[in-house]
Amino acid sequence: MTYTSSGIPLPSHLGPEKPGEFPFTRGIRERMYRERPWTIRQLAGFGTAQDTNARYRMLLDNGSTGINGVFDYPSLRAFGSDEARARGDVGRGGVAVDVRDDFDDLFKGIPLDQVSVSLVSSQPIGAVAHLAMFVRSAERQGFRRQSLAGTSQNDFLMETAITIAPEALPPQGSFRLACDLADFALRELPRWNPVSVSGYNYREAGADAVLEMALCLAHGQAIVTELIRRGHAPEAVLQRVSFFLNAHNDFFEEVAKYRALRRMWARWARQYTEDPRAQMFRYHVQTSGVTNAARHVHVNIARSALQGLAAVCGGTQSLHINGYDEAVCIPSEHAAMTALRTQYVLLHETGVAKTADPLGGSHLVEYLTDELEQRAAQTLQAIDAMGGIVSATEQGWVHAELARTAFEDQRRIEDGTQLVVGVNTHLEGDDEQPALFEIPDDTLDRQLARLDMVRARRGDTGHAIKEVAEACRTGQNVMPAVLRAVDADVTLGELGRTFRDELGRWEFPLW
Amino acid sequence: MAKLGMDAHWRGAIVVSNALRDAGMEVVYLGHATADELVGAVSQEDPILVGLSTLSGNHLTECENVMKAFRNAGIDDVVVVVGGTIPKPDQERLRELGVAQIFGVGSPLTHIVSEIAELTA
Repeated sequence: MTYTSSGIPLPSHLGPEKPGEFPFTRGIRERMYRERPWTIRQLAGFGTAQDTNARYRMLLDNGSTGINGVFDYPSLRAFGSDEARARGDVGRGGVAVDVRDDFDDLFKGIPLDQVSVSLVSSQPIGAVAHLAMFVRSAERQGFRRQSLAGTSQNDFLMETAITIAPEALPPQGSFRLACDLADFALRELPRWNPVSVSGYNYREAGADAVLEMALCLAHGQAIVTELIRRGHAPEAVLQRVSFFLNAHNDFFEEVAKYRALRRMWARWARQYTEDPRAQMFRYHVQTSGVTNAARHVHVNIARSALQGLAAVCGGTQSLHINGYDEAVCIPSEHAAMTALRTQYVLLHETGVAKTADPLGGSHLVEYLTDELEQRAAQTLQAIDAMGGIVSATEQGWVHAELARTAFEDQRRIEDGTQLVVGVNTHLEGDDEQPALFEIPDDTLDRQLARLDMVRARRGDTGHAIKEVAEACRTGQNVMPAVLRAVDADVTLGELGRTFRDELGRWEFPLW
Repeated sequence: MAKLGMDAHWRGAIVVSNALRDAGMEVVYLGHATADELVGAVSQEDPILVGLSTLSGNHLTECENVMKAFRNAGIDDVVVVVGGTIPKPDQERLRELGVAQIFGVGSPLTHIVSEIAELTA
């Protein structure tokens, strides 16, 4: 039996509706965190693969229970570190990768059959190549591909609406690559989540909770439908598609959002299967970066802790808490360790993990859960009426909605409707500047040397690149050709160029 | 208005562009532009001011490239401002490069609009 701090016995849940049962409003497991604590998955990535490997190990040694690896912008978009427009960003927002050897270094000494790895390969154009390099690298180190557990973010909206880049793929091409990766993973990597629908980033780009929900559902449904069309069993697909959500400031609304999404997804999935495991909405949460202020940065520790509390009260499977320096730079060691320890404060000290769905039955939370469900269903209908999420993106609707809500958000802060401590209220006190984290000075040089070394050792790559181009044209799954290209030391940038040449380049309908 | 290098964040650049347009200014949003592409765009559009946006940490490298390209092309009558995640110590460096104003994270739109109105007056 579990008790409160005053010795009151606590059942694993209270109230009539049981967690772990359809429609899973109250959580995907009956005993929730008593059965299994959320995965502590702190994001990390900067400099070269060697630099990031050291950070992964620091986090694992100090209580992280999974890897959450972020890549720099050129690597996300499949540009080479040596390309002119890429150089300024090499190793900055994440780790730089160009070739399979980078994945050898990135996961050196990490037992890939035990630790699950989330590859934050947000754009399908990069995700396809990253996964091929990861699999080949792991196999060379003796891990069977069947034993690899993890996630590719692989989100076509990230490539075509949420973030921008030069020479982006069009929505159709990006969605197709995402599904090729998923199709391959479903056949070959039984422990891999091949798509993580990134509501987190939709929210950061400007969406409110309702739009975050609707975009997640529309996108998740499109992926599932396409993979079933490609011949996969619905149960297999539904058990492998996962989600990535934001923990924003409005505490009760956020808790209600997770609850509403679980039951909306379960009700939709039920048309395909009675298998409860295939009806569960599984997700990772990150606290909201845009809510963090650059002034009085230590106050962000409080913001992130409260957002993390919402995530846990909402029943997340996995959590990242932001470093307090998020608004200023990528996390310093001090900021990263503070965030990691905040997770353990939530788990060990607050007691909120003792009972499943601790806010279930609250008049307020039940009201918000119903309201969010209704409103998200309406937006979802509007997206369906446009021909689905890929078509809504092509038409620029997603961009226009995000720009509109982002602008309104900013207006509310400026006219004082929304008060933000240190931004439009409580401005007193000196501005604090955290110790800035800088990536190693020689990052670009080391990465260029790595590329030169691989180019010098490899043989002819023309045939391998042609095979990838051929697969793009004929509509075959590109993954087998990409795996062979990785074996031939074709670089990430070369793969990216091939995809862009074959699948097209797209102008973002932002202006 | 242009995005630098490969920075992926469009929210700030678009929200600021909207606010400037609402204030009656003519805005051309270029999306990502290299230093050479910016020289081309400035020659064609002849703007009073160029806004550069980046939140990825590439600001020192990329702004140096742009300012050098402007100098080499003989562009000396256009005001350059930068917005994004720019730490305090780097703001000084950017000013030394010739950047007229820097709008860090949390800058109110009213402040940005009035500063730009003044710089372009």
